[in-house]
Amino acid sequence: MTIASQVKQSLASLKSIHAGFQSLALTSNDEDVQRTFHEMMMLTEEIIEDVKTRVGQFEQEEPQYKGF
Amino acid sequence: MPNWLEVAIRSFSVIIGLFLIMKILGKKQLGRLSYFEYILGITVGSLAADISMDIELDLASGITSILIWLLFPLVISLISIKSKRFSDFVEGKATVFIKHGKVMEDNLKKEKYTANELLEQLRKKQAFSFADVEFAALEPSGDISVLLKKEKQPLTVGDVMNNVPSIREPQTIIMDGKILDEPLATHRLNRRWLKEELDKIGVTPENVFLAQVDSFGQVTVDLYDDKVEVPPPVTKQLLLASIKKCQADFELFALQTESQTAKNMYTKNAEKLTLIEQTVTPLLKN
Repeated sequence: MTIASQVKQSLASLKSIHAGFQSLALTSNDEDVQRTFHEMMMLTEEIIEDVKTRVGQFEQEEPQYKGF
Repeated sequence: MPNWLEVAIRSFSVIIGLFLIMKILGKKQLGRLSYFEYILGITVGSLAADISMDIELDLASGITSILIWLLFPLVISLISIKSKRFSDFVEGKATVFIKHGKVMEDNLKKEKYTANELLEQLRKKQAFSFADVEFAALEPSGDISVLLKKEKQPLTVGDVMNNVPSIREPQTIIMDGKILDEPLATHRLNRRWLKEELDKIGVTPENVFLAQVDSFGQVTVDLYDDKVEVPPPVTKQLLLASIKKCQADFELFALQTESQTAKNMYTKNAEKLTLIEQTVTPLLKN
């Protein structure tokens, strides 16, 4: 079993990556660049969903990993 | 009226008059250095000087003369826009000196250029060997334009990377300590955003002499106080580093976990992250 805290850390990093893409998409000047960042943001969302599911799973299996 | 006063008035009028006419003529007239425009410049300067100084000269005649000299090229330009034949006759066309690496000796003779002069002009354009030149033409302005052979041209970004992002021009948003709202609006930003960005760096708007925002929205500032070190913007690099770290972590998780579904999930997402990394590296790497 992977260490739950590490996975949670990655989840937090992913959320910050998501926010980074979002803010770059907003402040960038060029439409193509904006579109690229937006697409990357959507991809990151998918990854976040997967990881959240996984975290949910082991919070159920081992309740001591719940919360921070 | 005393002489010096008259001279002062004349000089002043001539300067203002010339300035107004230059504004009307526009940038093209001032920029082009064709032979005729060169002579024009000297003549108008001489006329202006004479009118300013010589009280005997009738002011009206002087001004008329300057007007004719200055408006003539304007009229020529206007007709040139309408008629290509007229434009070719007046402005002339470029003469090809080197085509596909071969020197056109007949054209050189036609323009009364010796081989030595050709080589000199090429050297001025940093082409020291005529073997490096693919194409060279003598422009109507007297300048020689040189196209180097592809193998001698310097590397471009497109040669090294695919999918090079288009990066727009930076906007200067603070100049001489004053916030410029128009460039901010061009970038679809506002003063509140700017204040937040400056807070992030830890400076107040009053301390900033010059600030520019690049195509990604990153702000670079120069402060009045040169002893203070302003950290360069690192948001892009941090984001890229974060992505790489997550990708590595996911591969690690895939190895560590015992559940097969989890392994698959981590592997799939590690691949997604690799794709993200590859897509945004040209944008974030700077």
